[in-house]
Amino acid sequence: MNYPLIDLVFLVVKGVYILAFFAVNAMFLIWLERKVSAKVQNRLGPMVVGPHGSLQLIADTVKLLLKENIVPSSADRFVWWLAPFFVAVPTIAAFLCVPFSNVWIVRDLNVGVLFICSITSVCVLGVFMAGWGSNNKYSLLGGMRAAAQIISYEVPLLLSVLVIIMEAGTLSMQGIVHAQEAGLFLLKPNVMVAFLVYLISATAEVNRVPFDIPEAESELVSGYHTEYSGMKFAMFFLAEYANLFIISAVAATLFLGGWIGFFRPSAVWFLLKVYGIISFLMWVRWTLPRVRMDQMMAFAWKILTPIALVNILVTGLLLVLKG
Amino acid sequence: MNEAVFYIIAFLVGAGALLSVTVRDIFHGAIWLALTLISIAFLYFYLDAGFLGVIQILVYVGGIMALFVFAIMLTAKIGDRSISQVNRQFWPGLLIAATLFVVLGKVVMDGPWMRLQAGSPVTDLKTIGTSLVTSYVVPFEFISLLLLAALVGAVVIGKVKK
Repeated sequence: MNYPLIDLVFLVVKGVYILAFFAVNAMFLIWLERKVSAKVQNRLGPMVVGPHGSLQLIADTVKLLLKENIVPSSADRFVWWLAPFFVAVPTIAAFLCVPFSNVWIVRDLNVGVLFICSITSVCVLGVFMAGWGSNNKYSLLGGMRAAAQIISYEVPLLLSVLVIIMEAGTLSMQGIVHAQEAGLFLLKPNVMVAFLVYLISATAEVNRVPFDIPEAESELVSGYHTEYSGMKFAMFFLAEYANLFIISAVAATLFLGGWIGFFRPSAVWFLLKVYGIISFLMWVRWTLPRVRMDQMMAFAWKILTPIALVNILVTGLLLVLKG
Repeated sequence: MNEAVFYIIAFLVGAGALLSVTVRDIFHGAIWLALTLISIAFLYFYLDAGFLGVIQILVYVGGIMALFVFAIMLTAKIGDRSISQVNRQFWPGLLIAATLFVVLGKVVMDGPWMRLQAGSPVTDLKTIGTSLVTSYVVPFEFISLLLLAALVGAVVIGKVKK
């Protein structure tokens, strides 16, 4: 039985769902971030629009949509125009393999984990393009820093994901969740190390404090998206928070058992775990100071990568010994 | 409909490749090359070789393209549009390329191509992994050696002389 048209309609509907989630999730996270930062810094945060500022983001969205799109006169227009798409589109594509529950997944690819890791690595190009196309020294510096950081931290990130792949024996996101039904991987010491390495590298991947050197507002204004305004800036912003969701979703799926929970619906458990990790990352962001560029690179290559490599060796040995 | 998808992807691969060598701005060239590489990944996905497609994006777009762009940014003046795209070896180069194109074209058009008989290609990771360390272990180790040599070379070049 094959109905290509109906399949197409289903695909479009799923795409619309993902886009809606992409936008609403980012709006919620921005509000949450402002509230968390306010809590940490002992102030109230947005309070005026709606109860506890809950409608603030709708007001902000309207503002961003109506804002003028300013193109710097010396910008490389083609590159400048294309960059936000290179950042936003791969992020949206990564939602393809996020298992919201045992049935809610757009497509359970048999290479799901690798798909998410690889498609989000395309964002590096967008960051580069934004930095180069803006023709502004702060943007260029920010873009270079961001790219160097993302490429460096991708190594320990992938190596720590590899530990889970070895434990589960599959690359499919649902397969990894099913492999944890008997018992979470996180209870094993080598997986705990991998989880730690993953969380640190993931924080660096999404350019958050203590690794927010690409944006470092005190020295670089705001890095590669300094010259962007209106909807273009909004795309960078949305992509940033969608990326935060993606890395937390991967962490929840690989290390915390994804949608496994005590009662149904399982999607609730997945979202609880994801937003738990996100809240933890926000707490880290508003508590720690920023590290220096050379410290950050040295940390990735001299500390995290060796730990992750040894961890893979240990995991392999344990798996072989167990038979 | 499937065939239409193939032709769209093939067009993207070709157009990206053509633009990447013809545009004047080297940064634009890099972007068009990225389009070609991403489209090749689409081609792999279209042919049900998901693993290959994912690796294509991870290695070529996330890794190699990023290095290309890095090199462009770190090389002074290379983004300058006034630099000539060709040098003295344009005509000999064109001749060699044209000859190669004709020969390859003839081989592609005339050759009896073996077709895969049954089912889809092997996408099972276990099979890929096992064959990498059994039947293909020699090339696999050679590539590791090559990469190690490149790494050592990079360290030697990058090392600050005292």
